[in-house]
Amino acid sequence: MMETALKATDINKYFHDPVTMPVLKNISFEVKKGEFISIVGKSGCGKSTLLYVLSTMDRDYEGLLEINGVQTTGRSLNDLARLRNESIGFVFQFHYLLPDFTCLKNVMIPALRLGKLTYKEVQEKAYEKLKMFGVEDQALKRADKLSGGQQQRVAIARALINDPTIIMGDEPTGNLDSKNTGIVFDLFQKLSKEFGQTIITVTHDEDFAHRSDRIIEMADGVITSHGN
Amino acid sequence: MKINVNTEIAITYLSSRKKQTLIAAMGVMFGVSMFIFMQSLMKGTNDYFEKMSFNTTPHIRLYSENKVADTHLMTNYLKDSSVKILDNPKQLVQRQGIINPYGVINEIKKNPKVADITPQVTADVIYTSGSVQLNGTVAGVNITEENKMFDIQSNMLSGNLEDLNRVNQSILIGKGIADKLSLHTGDNITVTSGTGSPLVMRIIGVYASGVKQVDETKSYVNIPQAQNLLGKDRSYVTDIKINLKDYNDAPEVAQDMATITGYKAEDWVQANSQLKTAFKIRAMILNSVVGVILLVAGFGIYNILNMTIYEKIKEIAILKAEGFSGKAVTSIFLQQAIYIGLMGGIIGIFFGYLISYGFSRVYIGGSSPMGGALNYIPMSFYLPHYIEAIVFGILTTIAAGYFPARKASRVDPVTIIRG
Repeated sequence: MMETALKATDINKYFHDPVTMPVLKNISFEVKKGEFISIVGKSGCGKSTLLYVLSTMDRDYEGLLEINGVQTTGRSLNDLARLRNESIGFVFQFHYLLPDFTCLKNVMIPALRLGKLTYKEVQEKAYEKLKMFGVEDQALKRADKLSGGQQQRVAIARALINDPTIIMGDEPTGNLDSKNTGIVFDLFQKLSKEFGQTIITVTHDEDFAHRSDRIIEMADGVITSHGN
Repeated sequence: MKINVNTEIAITYLSSRKKQTLIAAMGVMFGVSMFIFMQSLMKGTNDYFEKMSFNTTPHIRLYSENKVADTHLMTNYLKDSSVKILDNPKQLVQRQGIINPYGVINEIKKNPKVADITPQVTADVIYTSGSVQLNGTVAGVNITEENKMFDIQSNMLSGNLEDLNRVNQSILIGKGIADKLSLHTGDNITVTSGTGSPLVMRIIGVYASGVKQVDETKSYVNIPQAQNLLGKDRSYVTDIKINLKDYNDAPEVAQDMATITGYKAEDWVQANSQLKTAFKIRAMILNSVVGVILLVAGFGIYNILNMTIYEKIKEIAILKAEGFSGKAVTSIFLQQAIYIGLMGGIIGIFFGYLISYGFSRVYIGGSSPMGGALNYIPMSFYLPHYIEAIVFGILTTIAAGYFPARKASRVDPVTIIRG
């Protein structure tokens, strides 16, 4: 039996504007360590909303959330920020790199924030991560000078810098061509298989979803299939 | 290299928008340098006027004051059981001057705060030369002591101060008197007081203190001559002038002396109350100007940081997603404000010093009609002004940066990233 990386119990969430209506209804599921999970569903089914609840950034929900066996529901903003810094890496549809910084610095910032390694060690580690994604030659360029695919790869490198136990992606390949999508998918798979990192992505890409370990299907705020 | 990541981000943000940073810093720079310039000018002028007033006024002047008759005696004698009506009270006829002046002087000298002390005989007189007459006062002084206290030597236009002790029937007159009566050193002048007979005196010198009113009325003679002029005896002294080691002690010491001697002791603050009021008003005007400049600089910083935050709102959201707490985000933006303040403050200090120095070299003395007592714009170079200036500058930037920084810390990453 594998360890549980993330456990959601009876998650309910409502949008209040313009009228109160439920978006997530009694969502319960578990993700094991090292699993590669895709959440799919039609637009507006609540899959992205669910991901942001799981990410701990959205605290406006009912129910219980546990990450790595620790309950995160009800904890302070600062605690959650620390937790995200240490254990969760994010990849978004848009890269959201800081354009004023070099790629290397962009990757380094979360690790510097964590403060467990010296500046030099962080620098080396960041460079290694960039190398993993084949963008090490762009390391000293400003982030806004790169192509879209390169930027997304740098963004993924940034998500991995603190060796998070969980990596969350909100349409991580949404803006990439098929070649880059392939690269990103292979990397995700490698991370889950070789490094035991848990991956949860929300995606529209059928192909991408079918190649992952498990697909969670959602419709109208409920999980219709947990996969197998 | 151990540099905080918040600091690193703050500095990168500042250096990636150099122009705006520079403009914001310039706002602070102007505020700080104007603060320094105005404070220096104000203190310089105030010090100058204070010094000027000490050229003519002692720190404390002890003199006997005419008193108006009051009801104290009757109250003592009749108690409260009666109704007292004192109709048309008059000034009492009393002996003018200070009784046993040299005894009083010896007593006062015991006070360790006293630096110099000298007696004076003041007489209201009429100067006559030919057919022209002029009102004025004659101060009978010990010119050596007087010079030590008021530095008359530096005001001498012609003649020798010490001749007042050597030459019989000698007088040292102000430039205004000399001009009006067309007299020079070596000429004779007739001096008449209200109580004595007219005396013809030899002018041994002319001085110009720079205070028009003084130079047009006041002249110096030695003490026995003033006594002769008034027809009084050798123990007649009207004023005792006292200088202290620290003139700021004057009000307090004056009160003690009044209590001990029973005479009126007027300190320089009272004597120059109009000067003090002028200081206060000047300080108010200058401080409000500086306040406005710093306020404007503050708004500049507020604006620039606010704009930065709008522009970088996605980056702030991503930083928060990466695990930066609200506190860290506040620190990033507040630090930017502080660095702008520091930069502007330090440049402002140099600039403020330069302006002050430049102005202190501006010659304004040439055209002064009373002879150049004030040649250059008075400027003080006083370290606490510089420290105050940079502290105020940084406080302003912190206040201006706080609100944008707080706003940044409250950015909700979910709303921003989801769009």
